[in-house]
Amino acid sequence: MQGSTKRMGIMTDVHRRFLQLLMTHGVLEEWDVKRLQKHCYKVHDSSATVEKLEDFINNINSVLESLYIEIKKGVTEDDGRPIYALVNLATTSISKMATDFAENELDLFRKALELIIDSETGFASSTNILNLVDQLKGKKMRKKEAEHVLQKFVQSKWLIEKEGEFTLHGRAILEMEQYIRETYPDAVKVCNICHGLLIQGQSCETCGIRMHLPCVAKYFQSSPEPRCPHCNDYWPHEIPEVFNPEKEREAGVSKSSKKSLRSRQH
Amino acid sequence: PFLSPQGDSGWTQSSFSSPILWNNLDEELSSQEESSSTLQSSTDTESSPRDPLEDKVTDLVHLLILKYRLKEPITKVEMLRVVTKEYKNQFPVIFKKASKCLEVIFGIDVKETDTTSHLYALVNSLDLTYDEIPTDDHSMPKNGFLIIILGVIFIEGNCASEENIWEFLNMMGVYDGKEHFIYGEPRKFITRDLVQENYLEYRRVPNSDPPCYEFLWGPRAKAETTKMKVLEFLFNLRYHPPPPKKKNEQARK
Repeated sequence: MQGSTKRMGIMTDVHRRFLQLLMTHGVLEEWDVKRLQKHCYKVHDSSATVEKLEDFINNINSVLESLYIEIKKGVTEDDGRPIYALVNLATTSISKMATDFAENELDLFRKALELIIDSETGFASSTNILNLVDQLKGKKMRKKEAEHVLQKFVQSKWLIEKEGEFTLHGRAILEMEQYIRETYPDAVKVCNICHGLLIQGQSCETCGIRMHLPCVAKYFQSSPEPRCPHCNDYWPHEIPEVFNPEKEREAGVSKSSKKSLRSRQH
Repeated sequence: PFLSPQGDSGWTQSSFSSPILWNNLDEELSSQEESSSTLQSSTDTESSPRDPLEDKVTDLVHLLILKYRLKEPITKVEMLRVVTKEYKNQFPVIFKKASKCLEVIFGIDVKETDTTSHLYALVNSLDLTYDEIPTDDHSMPKNGFLIIILGVIFIEGNCASEENIWEFLNMMGVYDGKEHFIYGEPRKFITRDLVQENYLEYRRVPNSDPPCYEFLWGPRAKAETTKMKVLEFLFNLRYHPPPPKKKNEQARK
C-alpha cells in the first residue's frame, strides 16, 4: 500500500489523515489546521519533526495536482482570518455542490448568489431571497422549506447569516471564485489591492473603487491619514485591525478549550 | 496578496503533467489490464496532452471522495454514470486506478459490501487506534452508545443481526429514522459513521434473500477495547447508572 513511486512517495499516513480530516471539515481556520497537522504527526509518525505548514501543504498539493484538487488558502472577508479548504478545481460550476443538494435547492443557492453579487453590501436579505421561491427550477418549494434550505447552506458553510441577511462563506468564495467571475463578469466586484473577488468590503465614495476589509487593514496599517489609493480622496470608513493570531489566542484562552476542530461560526 | 484568485497562488508547482502519476500507478497494478499502452509509453515529463482515460479516473476519484465526505455508499451504477457510456468497457481499469489513488493518497478503501446490488462503502484504511481527537463532530455521549452496540454484538455471539440491534435500540428509545437529540439519525450513525470509523462492520448476511444485514465488531473496536471492558461498562450502566445528562450537553451537538 505504501506509495513507492517517486512523487507519491511523500504521502504517508500523516498526510493521508490530514487530507481526510480537512476534507471532512470542509473548511478550517489556520489555527485549527496547525493543530490538525500536529495531531496527524503525533498519531501517525510521532518521531518525525512537524514540517512547516506551508511546505507540508505544498507537498500534498504537488501530489493532488494531477487530480485537479488543491488545498487552497484564503482569508475571511470580514475579519481577515486565514482559512483552508480542499477545493475541486475541475468543476467550475455550482454542480460541485450537486450531490449534496436537490435541483430546486441548488437553484435557490444560485438565486441567493445572484442577489449577493448584485447587492451593494454583499448581503442579500432573507425576504428578497424567499420572494424568488416561485421561480425555482425543479420541485415546487414553499417559503418555509426555503428558510430551512438556507439554514442548510449556513450549516454546510456555503453561506453566512447575519441579522437576517446572507452573504457567501469564505469557503464558497474559495471554491467558486472562478465560476463566479466567469458567470457574472459584469456584476462581479473586485478588490483594488489584491484583485481577488470581492463580496464584502469598503468602497471609496468618490471614485467607487472597492477593497476587502483585511486588505484595507493591511494597506492603511501605518497611515495616520488614510487616502484612497486611486483618487487620493480621504478614506471615509473605519480602518479595521489587521488580524493577529497571537492576540486572538491570548484574548480567548477560555474560549479555546471549547473550540474543538470546528471552525468558528461567523 | 493574501486572497489568491484562480489557482496561481504558488501553492501548486506548475509545469510537469500527470503522465508520471499514472505511469507509476501502472507499475503497481496487476498486469491484466489492457488499455495502458498510451500511459506507459509516455515517460516524457513535459506537457503532453492528457489521456482522456485519466480524466475519467479523475472524475471517479472526485465522486468517491465526495461520497466519503457525505459518509454515503456508492453503487456501480453511479460510478458508471461518471465514467460515461463511451468508456463503459474500460470501467474495470478506471475503477482500479481510482481505488488505488484513493488508497495511496487519501488512505481510503473502496470495499464492496453487497455483491448483488454492487454497493460499495468508503472506509478508512488507516490505523485509527490512537486517533483520539473527536473527529467529524463525534463527542463523548456517542461513545456510550457505541459500547452498548458492541455489547449487544458480543452477547449475540460476536455477530448480531440488524433486526436484533434495532430491537435493542428501540428499548432504549432510539428508532430508525427518528432523529435523536444526542445521536442524530441512528441508522446513518450505526451503518455509516461508525463503519467509516472502523468501529463496526456492517455486512450482508451471505445468501440471504431478501437481503438482510448483520453487525460485527470492527477492527478499531477490537484494537481499542476488549469484551471484558465492554461488559464492565454495561454492568456499571445497569447497577451504577451515571447521573442524568444536563441540559448543556444536549445543546453541544
